[in-house]
Amino acid sequence: MADADEDVIQTPSNAAAQPEVDLSDETQDFRFLNHLNFFADASPSIPRRGEKDFEPNPTELQADVLSASRGAMHNALSYPRLHGAKTRVVAFYSPDGYIPPVQPDRVTPKASEEDGKSSESAPKPPRPLPNSARISPDACVCVPSPKGQFFKTMGQADSSSRVWLLPEEALYLIERGSLDIRWPSPSGFAAGPGEEDLSIPMSLQAAYACFMGRGDLTLERYSVYTGLKRLGYALIRAPGWCDDIEQQDVEASNASEITPPKLHGPGLAGMLGSLFNWIHDPRSTASTASGPIIGTGIHRHYMDVYRKLAIIPWYDPATAPERHPSDTTPPFRVVFHVYKPSTPFKKSAPPTPDFRVSVVSTRDQTTMPTMTQLGALLESTPLDPPRGEKMDRMMYMRLRHGYRNVVLAVVDQGVVSYLRVADSAFGKEKLYENKGGPQGPKRNRANYKPRKR
Amino acid sequence: MDFQPDLPIPISYVSGRYLLFSIDAVTYLRREHHICGVLIGTLPQIPQQNVFLGLPLELMPEEARLLVDKGVACIVDEAKAHDGMNTLLEEDRRRYLRDLESQGLHVSRIQSDRKERNREQTLKKIEEKKAKAKAKASAVAAAQASTAPEESSTPSPKNAAIVDLFSAEDPRPSSPSTASTSVPPQTAMAITPATSYPPLPTPSPSSYLPAPTVPPSYPLFAHLHSKGYFLSPGLRFGCQYMAYPGDPLRFHSHFLVVSYDWDQHIDLMDLVVGGRLGTGVKKGFMIGGAQRGIDEVDSEADRVDTVRAFSLEWAGMHMALIFPRKDSRAHAPRYRVVLA
Repeated sequence: MADADEDVIQTPSNAAAQPEVDLSDETQDFRFLNHLNFFADASPSIPRRGEKDFEPNPTELQADVLSASRGAMHNALSYPRLHGAKTRVVAFYSPDGYIPPVQPDRVTPKASEEDGKSSESAPKPPRPLPNSARISPDACVCVPSPKGQFFKTMGQADSSSRVWLLPEEALYLIERGSLDIRWPSPSGFAAGPGEEDLSIPMSLQAAYACFMGRGDLTLERYSVYTGLKRLGYALIRAPGWCDDIEQQDVEASNASEITPPKLHGPGLAGMLGSLFNWIHDPRSTASTASGPIIGTGIHRHYMDVYRKLAIIPWYDPATAPERHPSDTTPPFRVVFHVYKPSTPFKKSAPPTPDFRVSVVSTRDQTTMPTMTQLGALLESTPLDPPRGEKMDRMMYMRLRHGYRNVVLAVVDQGVVSYLRVADSAFGKEKLYENKGGPQGPKRNRANYKPRKR
Repeated sequence: MDFQPDLPIPISYVSGRYLLFSIDAVTYLRREHHICGVLIGTLPQIPQQNVFLGLPLELMPEEARLLVDKGVACIVDEAKAHDGMNTLLEEDRRRYLRDLESQGLHVSRIQSDRKERNREQTLKKIEEKKAKAKAKASAVAAAQASTAPEESSTPSPKNAAIVDLFSAEDPRPSSPSTASTSVPPQTAMAITPATSYPPLPTPSPSSYLPAPTVPPSYPLFAHLHSKGYFLSPGLRFGCQYMAYPGDPLRFHSHFLVVSYDWDQHIDLMDLVVGGRLGTGVKKGFMIGGAQRGIDEVDSEADRVDTVRAFSLEWAGMHMALIFPRKDSRAHAPRYRVVLA
């Protein structure tokens, strides 16, 4: 392995290449958690990275340090999930999904009272429908009296202002100790005032057993959800969440299957095709065969020459038509819309997402996506051209931002890596159009020009 | 801490993955069997960060398989086991709820004790400050009285304010203290337990699932594990497994491990890429595989003995050869031959 001398050689380049260290990259020493007082009111801060040893040796010191680390880890992980009387939010698990509120008792007396107001009772029954239609069929946890900040970005309220949580939302809340989920009590949905409450609190283990796999929730999707949630992002399911969206519009996808890629214009894959077409096209190669590419005329400007030299066709992402998510192949499909903490988020009318995330499990998908898969994934996202003063000024930022983008969350056994894939339009950046030739500090150097001539 | 759980330890099979929820099992497997897994849960005490994570622990199928083959663990279908929740007897429910309540009482007692102690400490601090301030104030007053009585017009209101503040605070500690001790007369805190076993009975051996199916890299995994290495998933670092010489809590990893089949054609570029990557992060790039195929032996365990592993390291030679010395004016060569 590297010795001290090599360290000296490598440090400058390493420091430049990786200015920041992601603490979550590596297993951290849990002893540093000991410095935090968990019962303190002030929110604890995260300790700094600790030093590790190179290899085990039979010293007692090392054994002691290791057992102290393990002890600290044990303590940190055995911290209970507690619900104080004031902050406690109780929820009920509903194995059969959404249950509409017991309305007959409440609505019918009202309707009879309002009978005098003519046929008002007729439009009333359908009223709860739009509300209950909004509740996802996957929702399975009901919060009768929601309170706290979490319900700003999570859950869907029904007509009697109970909030219904999706499996991942419920699991996230129970895991962070913010929700007390109860098994449905044997006597009924919720114990009445007089009855003894025999509903048992759901354990974390039970929550995983019941919610995982429900409504297409996989452990990988959940890892991404909870990892981003912990960092403060707001997440909602994207239309591509369900694997069987094809079935909803079979006819539409069938139509596109009969006439493959060409219908979609120059897609990423179509670009390759057009390149081959171009090579075999006798007319465009004719000029190169008969004479210089740029022709024999008089050229007054370098721009004309460059323009004529641009013979390789390129793909313009801006002109590619948008594709329906059903055109994508399952792992490479947007499943989450992610919002930065700074984005004003309203769960009834979610704004345009800041990021679109697709989740890939390394144990189910062991190869890189093909060009077709990736192209379809990108084209299923809306056009997001680089805009703004900064983007107009900086070409490399424009290239990096691209015209469409998607974040691939690759989950390897609980370890998540995020990759941003963007559709850059290199063909749109005409370097020769930059006024004054090459830009940058080189121009100012006096010794640069002499070397060239 | 040196807790010994009952064997075999049940590993929860949830939606195709292998999870552990019992902290005792996690600590025990880490200490005795060098199985670390990956923590994927949120720590309830510091929930808004990703550096320290909590239960559950996700195990690779390789890890679960190794433990099952050793007879240390068994696989339990957790969704099926939790069907038993509906058929729980009323008596059992009552007993369980009582247990939880007494635990909750215990926790709230500890917390109120702690609060009390904290309060006493801060009170002490305040009193000390007060005494200091008084001493200071009296010293200042004495000094002012001795020098010039006119100059005391500006500082004196300030001093008075400080004294007022403390005197106003004086009666306060006594009244809230009685309130705080009397208002929460040990209301039990509600607890969300980590596991479902107390209320559920321990699963019977007949309900165990078969050993997990493992990828072709398993023999190399098991081989390195048998040599004392701690292994963790490595895709983030560009390999299949990271091999640590000791517990990753205390040691950096030494190898980036990639497994190949015995007769598999290895692309030279893969070796170059892996070797350069490993050397770049001060680790060795290790490749290996089992000599015997799965159809030639009775069990996976037999293949482990036939594993061979090789480690690649990028030697520093080319740096010395190609980079010109500082004193020479020669330009760096246009092309570098890295591997002939």
